[in-house]
Amino acid sequence: MTKDPNKGYIALLGWSLSAVEAAENFDRRYVVVAPDWAEEYCEKHDIPYLSWNFERLNDRSMEIAETLQEMGVDVAIPLYEETVEWAGAINSVLLDNPRLYGQSLLLRDKALMKRRAQLGGIRVGIFEEAHDKEDVVRFLKRVNQTLLKLDGDPNDPIHLKAFDKAGCLGHRVIRTPDEVDSIPDEEFPVLMESHLDGWEFAVEAWIHNGKIVFLNISEYVTLGYSVFVPASPELERYRPQITAQIEKLIKTFDIEFGLIHPEYFVTSDGEMYFGEVAYRPPGFKVFELLERVYGFNAYQASMLVFDPKASTEEVKAFFPREVEDANGYAGCFGVYPRRRVVSRLEIPEEVEDHPYFESHELTPPMEETVTKRTAFGTHWGLIYFKGEDPHQLRDLLKHQEGLDFYV
Amino acid sequence: MSEHPDTNSATQPPTDGDKLTGLLAKLDEAIQLLDTAREFAKPGKLGRVLDTARRVMMQPGGCAAVEARAEALESAGVFVGSDWATPQYLVPSLTTYALKSADPNSVVIESLSELRLLAVAMGDYQHPLISAEQAHHYLTQVMALNLWLLFGAPSEAERETQGRLAQLPRLLFQHLAERIGYEHIVDQLIDEIWRILRQRPLQVEPVKQMITQIAICQANPAIDLGASGQGADRLVSSLFGPTQACREDPGIDIYRQRLESMDQAALQYEASGFARAMHDTGLVSPYHSVLMRHLLEHSDHLLAEALGLSSTGRDCLMCYRELVHALIRGGVYPATPQAIYGLALLLERGILYQPPVAPAMWRQLGLTLSEWSQQRLKMAHGDAVSPRARLLEGVLCMLGLPLGVGQGNNPTCQSARALSMWAYNDPDYLLQMVAWAARDDEIIMHFEGQPISSRESLSGVATELPMDLDAVSLLVVPHLDRIYAEMGRRCIGRDGDPHRWVNPEFHGWWSGRGFRINVEVATGQLADLEDFLRHFYAAYHPYYNGNQPLIHPQPAGIAVTDSAARFIGWHAITLLRVNLDPQDVMRVYFYNPNNDSGQDWGDGVKVSTAGQGERFGEASLPFEQLASRLYIFHFDPLERGELATITQQELDRVIGHVHRSWGAGRVPATDLQASPGIDGA
Repeated sequence: MTKDPNKGYIALLGWSLSAVEAAENFDRRYVVVAPDWAEEYCEKHDIPYLSWNFERLNDRSMEIAETLQEMGVDVAIPLYEETVEWAGAINSVLLDNPRLYGQSLLLRDKALMKRRAQLGGIRVGIFEEAHDKEDVVRFLKRVNQTLLKLDGDPNDPIHLKAFDKAGCLGHRVIRTPDEVDSIPDEEFPVLMESHLDGWEFAVEAWIHNGKIVFLNISEYVTLGYSVFVPASPELERYRPQITAQIEKLIKTFDIEFGLIHPEYFVTSDGEMYFGEVAYRPPGFKVFELLERVYGFNAYQASMLVFDPKASTEEVKAFFPREVEDANGYAGCFGVYPRRRVVSRLEIPEEVEDHPYFESHELTPPMEETVTKRTAFGTHWGLIYFKGEDPHQLRDLLKHQEGLDFYV
Repeated sequence: MSEHPDTNSATQPPTDGDKLTGLLAKLDEAIQLLDTAREFAKPGKLGRVLDTARRVMMQPGGCAAVEARAEALESAGVFVGSDWATPQYLVPSLTTYALKSADPNSVVIESLSELRLLAVAMGDYQHPLISAEQAHHYLTQVMALNLWLLFGAPSEAERETQGRLAQLPRLLFQHLAERIGYEHIVDQLIDEIWRILRQRPLQVEPVKQMITQIAICQANPAIDLGASGQGADRLVSSLFGPTQACREDPGIDIYRQRLESMDQAALQYEASGFARAMHDTGLVSPYHSVLMRHLLEHSDHLLAEALGLSSTGRDCLMCYRELVHALIRGGVYPATPQAIYGLALLLERGILYQPPVAPAMWRQLGLTLSEWSQQRLKMAHGDAVSPRARLLEGVLCMLGLPLGVGQGNNPTCQSARALSMWAYNDPDYLLQMVAWAARDDEIIMHFEGQPISSRESLSGVATELPMDLDAVSLLVVPHLDRIYAEMGRRCIGRDGDPHRWVNPEFHGWWSGRGFRINVEVATGQLADLEDFLRHFYAAYHPYYNGNQPLIHPQPAGIAVTDSAARFIGWHAITLLRVNLDPQDVMRVYFYNPNNDSGQDWGDGVKVSTAGQGERFGEASLPFEQLASRLYIFHFDPLERGELATITQQELDRVIGHVHRSWGAGRVPATDLQASPGIDGA
């Protein structure tokens, strides 16, 4: 697409083919900042590229910011959790706003994030950092004492998460002190949280000039397995409260622009609990799902709200109306092999024959033995659906995520 | 959330038609996404197209729907970057592997390609790379090689590796057969096999596979071929039971035992039975080899009978009795039965009477093959017999059937033509080449006095080592190809077409040093067309050259066109004879290194391979029609006479053919100016 020199020049931090494709088809100049293994591919396909290995921030960190500044780049967008603080550091230079770096650190560390949220008057569950296994056992006991459990009652579980990893990576559920032994020492330190029984959902909110310009609610069917957009009417009922929560979050974290992806629980009494927030595109291809139902490209949406040269009118014109403009419901679930030994991929007939079934991204198994899953692990690919009825879609996801795809 | 009824059970189960409609909407959407994606993003969109196409093809009517979308699928980029992007080079025998694959995407892309070629064959899709006839021809072969898919249920093994996917190739083939004509498929196949066999190719393996498929279908009581397949008996019997004593295909060992107890008369009966089958079809049964080796201990009379020799061949056999015996001992095994046919025709040609040939054959018998040569032969032809025996079979066949050489699926028409020409015209030179290549891994030829070694010349025309070749070509072609390419490189910078210098140096002294071309090399435009044609008539047409028959085979270049007369590419052929045919039409008989010479070149030009006075392996066209596709020929500069005074009508007919086919778009601007443009006036 022809690039408009009057609009912003954007750096994409990290390699994402979908993001590159979106940028190619958008009217803003862009450059991909990615490790050197992407170089050959970018050269071959004429993709603007700058080589950078995103390790820990170090003395050379200024170098990438200055290079981008010399190129005339206006803003950097993080595509992955690991590039969030890089974007903060780079944008603090590009936009001459040192606060952005501190903000990004808050958004990268789950423990800091929770404290900040708490200070801002946002409800969070009970949480604590653990440095070793003893901390975990103590926390488990204390949480269950708080819940007035007696010895011998089944414990409520607690959740363990890595401080600085995306989504379900390193996520474990612990119910008994025995299970604590299964945690390898190198996973510490971790963040521990009490388990909240409730309805979990996520939000993707695009923010421009400190205001929400588009807010999507993604409804989880099973956490870590399945999601659909827009949310069912039952969850959308909470939209005003959710919007208020997001506004609180924006204020607390002092967010002027960009895309945030927080997670919440609604408990049965309608109370919202903040889980965590990420300053990057969500996993589980929620962007693709949004495009299926709303027709706009969510990467382009992010480029737009990050761009300091974007006008309020352009932003307003870009986004559709929430829920009303959605053309059906789109959802997906992740497939985890359920057997220990698998020989081939076979999509169950009831999945394939369902009118809502759209496509899948599963590949034949490379090995016959399935590695035992620790923590939540990674899925082997997603299955996509789209349909008119949110309840049918929800029930379908719920039912089919339990089927065998690898036999 | 229990207040919501289970909506799954509330909806009606969709009918097949609804399901297909829904899937097609999804397929169209997926194709659209692939089509609009940037080139680098296409691989990411392909999976959805393939997967949706798979589901469509599994539905009743799905294959037809995909066939209708063939052009859209291809232009969206489904085949880009894969072998399927160049359908003209697809090898029918490889389809079997793709269709049996456990990987759904391999099965699907192969199926999509078949349906695309079906659309091309039916004339619904004009493909830039392959004509309707070629597509039709390809599909017939694919069907022949995979008859089991048409008539059999999935085997246990297929179900195990493919699951439900195993149904897809079957649905595909049912659709193909329905479109092409169900009950005629086997008959067409038989016609096709006969048409190929009448050209007596050296490589008969693909034909044998097809015949085996027919035999398997005929023997399976679960398969109903109806009235079709009657004409297959001669083909099947020639391979599996040509004579009384092996009619029921008893196996080699039992047949050998039966021979032990036969008397002279019975052996005579067997011998003539085998000979008849062999000369009828050009195919030789492994039982024939058993008989030949048995007869070595009996009588030369019976050997001659089993070879089906005429008096010429019999004389030759008697003169070179020991050599022939040695050739049978060294080259005729149940795994190399075609050697018998090669030997029979070699004897009939009488070439053993040329002084160097017999001693060269003795050298061949004792030739030590290099490690590399042995490896290549084993890789391409298996190790049922020693590489030396395999090569000997190849040599016998090539000398017996010089016009049966084929280039395989390789751009090496020049090398195939050279081998054929030597086998035809200069057999001991061919034997010399084989010895150098097989024993020394090196061939040295000279170009304008400078030696060119095949070892030092780095690259040939072919980028990969060709494997789908007869035993002789397999060893010699890689050398020839590099030398040929090197000769071409030494002509870089010269004015004009390099064939002028390369052809005579490469093929032999008898290729005329005089050279004419009717295309301007720099622009690709036609040049001096009238003079070119008059000169060609003067050099080759008996009515204009003093009734001089063509003496030596001459290299020539043609512009190959498809059945729509569209230009496909330049191609090397050999002009062999120019004679009146049985209908008193002046015909050019020529050799085409392409594996199947029977081609439709469009605009009424159909190359004949049988029935117009052709010898085995020859292709023919009326003189005018061949002249209309010719762009290069050689002549003897000392014999250059007057330009032929052919009539303007005849000339115009030829030029008309040129302008309506490959010459369209090559007519120089100066010619066009002859008709004043109305716009400019």
